Amino acid sequence: MKRSIIRWPGLAAFAAIVGLLVIVSWLFLDAILKVTLEYGLGRLNGAEVNIQKVEHKWSPLTLTAYDVQATDPAKPSHNQVQLEKFSADVSAAELLLGRIHIEQLDVVGVRVDQARKQGEGEVYVAPSKEDIKEWASGSWEQLKVSLPSTDEIVQQVGLQTEQILTEAETQIEQQREQFEQAKAALPTKETLQQYQQQVKAITEGKVEGLGDIAARKEKLDNVKAAIRQDKEAIQKFRQQLSESADVVKTQIARVKEAPENDINRIRNFFQLNESGLQNVTGLLLGDKARQWSEYLLLAYEQLAPMLARSANTETVEKVRGEGESLSFVEDDAPPEFWIKQARTEVMIGDTAVNIDWQNITHQHDLLGQPTTYQARVDNGDLWQAFNLDGELSLLSSGIDAKQQWQLKGANVKNLGLSDSSELTAAITSALIDSDGRVLVRGNQLDGEAIIRMLDLAVTAQGSSKITNAIAQALAQLKRLDINTKVGGDILNPKLNLNSDLDQQLGKLLSQTAMAEAQTKLDDIKSELSAKVENQLGPKNQLLEDITQLNGQAESFDQQLEELLKAKIEDSLKDKLKDRLFGS
Amino acid sequence: MLTLLAKLLKALNSETSPWALAMAMVLGMILGLTPLWRVHNLIILLAALIFRVNLTLFLISFGVFSGLAYLLDPLFHEWGLAILQADSWQGIYEAIYATAAGRVSQFYHTITMGSLVFSLLISPVIAALTYFVVVNYRKRIQQTLLKLKIVQVIRGSRFWQLYMDLRG
Repeated sequence: MKRSIIRWPGLAAFAAIVGLLVIVSWLFLDAILKVTLEYGLGRLNGAEVNIQKVEHKWSPLTLTAYDVQATDPAKPSHNQVQLEKFSADVSAAELLLGRIHIEQLDVVGVRVDQARKQGEGEVYVAPSKEDIKEWASGSWEQLKVSLPSTDEIVQQVGLQTEQILTEAETQIEQQREQFEQAKAALPTKETLQQYQQQVKAITEGKVEGLGDIAARKEKLDNVKAAIRQDKEAIQKFRQQLSESADVVKTQIARVKEAPENDINRIRNFFQLNESGLQNVTGLLLGDKARQWSEYLLLAYEQLAPMLARSANTETVEKVRGEGESLSFVEDDAPPEFWIKQARTEVMIGDTAVNIDWQNITHQHDLLGQPTTYQARVDNGDLWQAFNLDGELSLLSSGIDAKQQWQLKGANVKNLGLSDSSELTAAITSALIDSDGRVLVRGNQLDGEAIIRMLDLAVTAQGSSKITNAIAQALAQLKRLDINTKVGGDILNPKLNLNSDLDQQLGKLLSQTAMAEAQTKLDDIKSELSAKVENQLGPKNQLLEDITQLNGQAESFDQQLEELLKAKIEDSLKDKLKDRLFGS
Repeated sequence: MLTLLAKLLKALNSETSPWALAMAMVLGMILGLTPLWRVHNLIILLAALIFRVNLTLFLISFGVFSGLAYLLDPLFHEWGLAILQADSWQGIYEAIYATAAGRVSQFYHTITMGSLVFSLLISPVIAALTYFVVVNYRKRIQQTLLKLKIVQVIRGSRFWQLYMDLRG
């Protein structure tokens, strides 16, 4: 008999197999969900995602996951974001149609940039090496600026006191020679006495007649001519004296000022070049600013890239043999993934900041609305007021978003800034105000923020000369304004920090360096002054001689002038009249 | 393994319909070439169990084609992508995608689509080829093989004993 082609026991076997599959799925659903979520979220994140436990509830359909940790692809030793728990109310009806619609999502205990306790996570899509290099470029070891030693500066400045001293000596010596020459041409006291005797002899005595008067007049004229010649020599000498005195005085003054000028030039050299210090703000605050930015840009840095990756299969690394799931959603269909309401509790220290979200999806063009979020915490433990709101849309052109925030009166205590072998620095206490805004157009970030640190108290310790000087300078900081510029691609944001710290540090470092060099400078100054004093002594004597000789020459000049006033006519004429008329 | 091989020989040497063997080969091939956790594979499994196809060859076919699928997956992805991106079919895909059955079928997955289309296209060829091999084996090779010395040795071995036990 020909057997039927239907094997009825096969139906029972099929039912048994399907039943077994259902039972296994039912029993291990949570484990299956855990593995599936870890795998799916890991691929979206670009690095390993760990979930401690997943639980489900059928009515209403709820999925709860505990201790979710997403490795940072750029820093596998840390979690880019981690959360204590998330709970999602899933719409069962939409799930049957293949859509994930979550009515309410609650995320508790969100923290960013936390060290992974279980070691480095696996990275699926590593950021390019250039990106990592850019972040890692700032290190204290690379700080190029160095504080020069006093000796180096003295060598570079080139002390000018000695040169000035030599020049002055030469000039004074020249003056001395001219002075000596002029002095040699001066009439002596004897000459003056001779003139006086000659004049006396001519103008006094017995007159023998008109012929005698004429002869005497001629003699007097001759004496006067000699006197005028000497007077002229005296005037020339006095002029030379004046000139020499000026030159000697100038040179002495110049030489006296030289040590002080040299010290001032050394001081000027200690003023550090700002370009050498321009990266101190970045070095000191870069890591912390990046950490803060991860909170402020949480929506962009974490959510947007994940949504973008989920929307674009090109950005998710393909696993061999896995294929791709294409979307054929119609233009008027609801989004395939849509979280209608969400509340995320982000932990900053021990303070919880609740952020309320609406319409989280990667298909904003289908929804017609952007994802919006708001956070407001007043009178918290950490600050007086914090206000954040923003929105983002994933469009065909890329991510469009905007966000703004204001932070007032944030109390910062014992905030580590740097813990490198070169420099350890921490803000002991500070009051921080900040406000800023970020715009995203076509995946490109553009934003700026200002961070004002008031009542600043910094403790710092350096291990090298420069970092030690920076540490000392930091300890004197009272206020700091930091301008932050946000730019670059949304998947790879760049922060640029700018503050008056560099300028302040420049001044403070100079002061520190000067204080260090002061003893040395004092020594240099006294050495130079002593040298100047030793060599200026004889020159001062010259100045005294000049002054003394000037007085002497003036007296000679007056006496000669007096002699020049002598007249022969009147006295001799009177004597002649007496003799002629017998009066 | 020996048991499975013995069962295969038994099937080949029995009076099992060549078409039953050919269908087993085809169903095993579809199950093996396409991703396992897909709804259509439940239908394949149901067909293999409910119709009187040879389950031994079905399992062997599944195993062999699963290994082959690993090598062919990149090609399946490319073909699936091309099929799913075909402009003239977009409307149909969108309509299917909007249904629960469409979603559950995961037709929109490139490897699923590529491998399923490929399997269905070569099914007649595989079926005919299997039929041809079985018929010719029984007609020509079976008798020749029995006369070979090596076969005589095998027939005295434990494997042969197993085979005979199965044959009952």
